[in-house]
Amino acid sequence: MLSSFRLSMTWVHTWFGLVLGYVLMVCFFFGALSVFDREIDRWAIPETRYEPQPMPSFDSMLLPIFRSIEPEPRSYDYAQGEVQGPLPPRESLAMSDVGAYTTHRDPVLDMYVSFDVPNKPKDANLDHVHAFGYATIDPRSGTVISNDKLKIGSEFFYPLHYSLHLYWKNLGYWLVGMAALTMLAALVTGVVMHRKLLRELFTFRPRKQMRSVLDLHNLTGVAALPFHFFFAFTGLVIFAGIYFPVTSSMFKPQAEAHEKVEELRTGLPHDPAHIAAPLASVDAMVAEAQRRWGERGMPGEVGFLGITHLGDANGYVSVYRAGTDRVTLTGQGIHFRASTGEVIREDPQPSSVAGINDWLTGLHLQHFRHWLLRWLYVLGGLAGCACIATGFVFFVEKRKRQHAKAGASGARWADAMGVTAVTGMLVATGTILVANQLLPGDLPRRGDWEERIFWLAWLLALVHAFWRSAPVAEARLSPAWREQSWVIALLCTAAPVLNWLTTGDHLLKTIAARYWPVAGFDLALLVVATVAVYAARRLGRAERVLVETAGGRGRGSLEAAHA
Amino acid sequence: MLQQIAMGVTNHRQRLSLGSRVLAGLLGSYVFTWGCVALVVALGLVQGMDYDEMLTLAYLLAFLVYLCAFLWAFAAASLLRVWLVLAGGGVAMSGAARWLTSMLA
Repeated sequence: MLSSFRLSMTWVHTWFGLVLGYVLMVCFFFGALSVFDREIDRWAIPETRYEPQPMPSFDSMLLPIFRSIEPEPRSYDYAQGEVQGPLPPRESLAMSDVGAYTTHRDPVLDMYVSFDVPNKPKDANLDHVHAFGYATIDPRSGTVISNDKLKIGSEFFYPLHYSLHLYWKNLGYWLVGMAALTMLAALVTGVVMHRKLLRELFTFRPRKQMRSVLDLHNLTGVAALPFHFFFAFTGLVIFAGIYFPVTSSMFKPQAEAHEKVEELRTGLPHDPAHIAAPLASVDAMVAEAQRRWGERGMPGEVGFLGITHLGDANGYVSVYRAGTDRVTLTGQGIHFRASTGEVIREDPQPSSVAGINDWLTGLHLQHFRHWLLRWLYVLGGLAGCACIATGFVFFVEKRKRQHAKAGASGARWADAMGVTAVTGMLVATGTILVANQLLPGDLPRRGDWEERIFWLAWLLALVHAFWRSAPVAEARLSPAWREQSWVIALLCTAAPVLNWLTTGDHLLKTIAARYWPVAGFDLALLVVATVAVYAARRLGRAERVLVETAGGRGRGSLEAAHA
Repeated sequence: MLQQIAMGVTNHRQRLSLGSRVLAGLLGSYVFTWGCVALVVALGLVQGMDYDEMLTLAYLLAFLVYLCAFLWAFAAASLLRVWLVLAGGGVAMSGAARWLTSMLA
């Protein structure tokens, strides 16, 4: 495109990196937090602060709870919009499938029910529509934990990193996909731009302003390059079905034919028989599944337990093993006829292609138990954030003097957006945590309020960033970086203090009890607060230096470093 | 602003060609990758391979293909060739896939 290969690649790196960097920042940061999503849930829902629990008895505990679950009003309303004619009353919908899910880090058990919707879908490509109901329980007692309590880690931060919570036409997934592709391209073009790759791995020159920013950008990019590439790539593969939906479009007939063949091969009925049938003891099936895993030399806990076509003669129970002890995401599923408890099928070892896919997905989703690696994931994710943030800073620093001379506003816009994406994101994160502690415990739809407050805080950070951005147009630092750093420091100090005041779980107590989900998160918040204070003070000093030297000898040290 | 975005690209025609280049990088590569996915699956089906298996394989390859196509769209000298190869190739591969699967029916 441009006069040389390197210049063309530099253009791609700069402009795609800038525009999609704002989205990438969200993916990397909330992806990093998702590594400890269950622990953040414990911090956010104090009544769930106890040790992880195994799958409880289905027959005595789960079945009655499943029977009491009703379709979520929101899911019911959504289904109404998707079908022709009015739906039957909400309580009258029949259950089709149920499932319960847990991991080695979950004290609570997630349960869901899918309900049959008899109406014909508006979309001719769909066979039928379902409505869903959910429950979260304490598996020790069977007590249901209100759905109004938002699991900030696993229900908010985690989906945010791949969907941005923009579900209209899967818009969020597409934006994230484009950002992930940009990450891959930025890594390749970054390598092309810099000839001395090995040297950059060991180069960091602090206190050299522009040079430090660029060194840090290269260091965090190159040192964690395989990590960044892996996560962007596997993230795309995980959602490939959304990005290239060939199964529901050009290969629809082939996919349907394949389903029929699969049904014959596996003996697992695709459709209900519409004949009522009783349910045999599921606990006995679970025991049998565990016995068979033991026979294979891999005894384990149940991760997922589900019934397809509940109460129907074609109903079957599927028991999957929790992936606590291996990277690959293979459930070793064993399936039973629901009415008799006889084994229909044991999932075979995956083929080589499926095996590679399971391993890649497993390494991304990290269901296995390995705390050191878990922390390395967080560090890798934060290195990605540092790489993107320094990219923004470098972009602005490189241009703001030219733009100031030319009277152009590009650098000012880019800087304000950078503030919003970096410190603004942290302000929003800190705010939802503080809101979580301050909102009344019995507030209806409490979680919705927490989410609204999160987005409002981020919006305010955006407004603040633009409002304070004028100095950038004069080639100076925007005070918004410093001011928002102070807000982050305040919020991240307030959150652990509020946690102490509202629950009594202060750090001395949680550390003494070695209750790391809460102790670890409180400590992490205090570390963030400390870093934010340090950053704010450094920024303050840098602003003063620039003001003192402005108008005097050129514009001070930044210019010299830039030359 | 636009002038800065184009980094030295000044006149109207160059701006248009830059826009076309970006579109080729994103959309053209998408069509090309779709074609590759479709062709891999179709070739597999013709060989009597399992649908899920071939789809998984195609998805594993898809984003590496997309990445290469995307970067090539900016590296190549001729914009016309970029569009011909990416969009044309993608449509041709999708067509071939459709033809192959229609032979199966």
